[in-house]
Amino acid sequence: MSIEARIHHAFRGFTLDLKFESAGPVVGLFGASGSGKTTLLNCVAGFIKPREGKIAVNTRVVCNRPGGTWSPPERRKLAIVTQEPLLFPHLSTRANLAYAPGAADRLEDTSGWKILDVLRLKPLLERAPATLSGGEKQRVALGRALLSAPEMLLLDEPTSALDAELAREVLALLLDVKRELKIPMLFVTHKAPELMALADDCIVLAEGKLLAQGPPVQVLSRPRAIGVANLVGVDNLLRLQVVRHDEPGGVTLLDLGGHELAAPLSTADAGKHVSVGIYADEIMLCLEKPAGLSARNALPCRVLRVDAIDHEVLVGVRVGATELLARITPAAAEELKLQPEAAAVAVIKTAACHLLG
Amino acid sequence: MLTDAEIEIVRLSAIVAGWSVLASVIPGILLGWLLARWNSPLRGLLQGGVMLPLVLPPVVTGFLLLALLGHSGPLGKAWEAVTGGQIAYTTGACVIAAATVGFPLMVESIRLSIVSVDPKLEMVSRSLGRGRLATFLRVTLPLALPGVLAGAVLSFARALGEFGATIVLAGNIEGETRTIPVAVYTLMNTRDGESAVLRLVAVSVAMSLAALLAAGWLARRRRKGQA
Repeated sequence: MSIEARIHHAFRGFTLDLKFESAGPVVGLFGASGSGKTTLLNCVAGFIKPREGKIAVNTRVVCNRPGGTWSPPERRKLAIVTQEPLLFPHLSTRANLAYAPGAADRLEDTSGWKILDVLRLKPLLERAPATLSGGEKQRVALGRALLSAPEMLLLDEPTSALDAELAREVLALLLDVKRELKIPMLFVTHKAPELMALADDCIVLAEGKLLAQGPPVQVLSRPRAIGVANLVGVDNLLRLQVVRHDEPGGVTLLDLGGHELAAPLSTADAGKHVSVGIYADEIMLCLEKPAGLSARNALPCRVLRVDAIDHEVLVGVRVGATELLARITPAAAEELKLQPEAAAVAVIKTAACHLLG
Repeated sequence: MLTDAEIEIVRLSAIVAGWSVLASVIPGILLGWLLARWNSPLRGLLQGGVMLPLVLPPVVTGFLLLALLGHSGPLGKAWEAVTGGQIAYTTGACVIAAATVGFPLMVESIRLSIVSVDPKLEMVSRSLGRGRLATFLRVTLPLALPGVLAGAVLSFARALGEFGATIVLAGNIEGETRTIPVAVYTLMNTRDGESAVLRLVAVSVAMSLAALLAAGWLARRRRKGQA
């Protein structure tokens, strides 16, 4: 699966101007509201005709303007699922699922059963859409899209209209869809944990332009540097594997580039990955490992870069293979004489490792 | 009770109103959809043109129709050349007059019900692989159906009451173009016509009231359906 896009489109004082290529299979479009991510998704879906641009899905060109190909949305085989489930209110749940051409037949064979199974739709088939809860409606909307046998699923913030618990449930379903049905997705989100959990490749947008692209761990581990810290909420967002739990000690040990990071006790099983957020202010830098320390983590690291911005200094350090960002005062930077390649120790309290699920 | 002649008048009125609704429902749906979804500066002009018969004096509408369809009008001449007959002063002319005057009510009701269908439902339909026409027939039209029915009932009621354009275009021919309003007008100028006038007036009030109640019920259903 692949997606390739080059778009230039200006309307109502906003310009979308970007170019990217991604092998996915699950591509996350990340950015603040107004960054152009939904506009981009609508260009891919075929609801917005860009002035100039070329969009190809699996090398099939769906848009090449001006002058070239233009496929209308119904011929793109890219089913969209939006914030609101948008079930057809005059149709039963079953008729909603059977809506797309060929979907009625798929409902009767194994490919359709698998979709019903993964999304747990069988108990909902005979219920009227109006009687379904928000989460159930979104499950039906996902099922309806999948039963159209799309080459790629387009998701426009599919969890943002749901409360936190339902949003987690729908995210878990999307993970099941990815794992069990292996369907490529292009999904818009402003939630970093969702991106971490679901995306293989991540496109970061700001003001209609491409800001960064890469695996979510890489893109989100330096959110301040790429200007998405306010979205991520924390400066260091890591996806780490659980090594073991130390219940009497009250900590869960995570693998951080070969070192063990002590985080607050988690319920995740050993071997699973969890998202951990650490604020840059909560990382202390020392020149050597301090003795008699209450903080559980004193990780040897190497300084990568030192950036003075206004009245703060951002220090990028590498622990094993992982990059961390620490924020210190100019006075501290002066005293420690931190330079790239210098050895240091990053001290992090257990409570500063925020588990994000 | 009604005399045979009066029953004939009521029957003619119902047939004329029925045909005028049947003839205008498909153009009404097309124009209602166009006015609801077509983004063009010309839309305002089109809307004005469609609504014109609602505000023009019906006699003027009738005069314009006669100029078009009468035996010296361009369409009237063409019709005569092809069929040998004429349009004006026939039951067909009654239908045309009633349909023209009721058309704005039909289109406006359909337009409003299409406007209230969420365009995002149409987007989803198209991304699921259904083209514009299939989307219209499977999503937009079923959801707008109560508005289409309400428009049909309203224009039916308007057609029952049509007088001005009818008398100009179709005249006052017993059994052919003498609908209830024309008959009432004729009987009012006839000696001993009062009791017949009262009976026809009672029928007219009853039919119109029933149509209005039905339209109101459909409009409530439309709002409920979208809630």
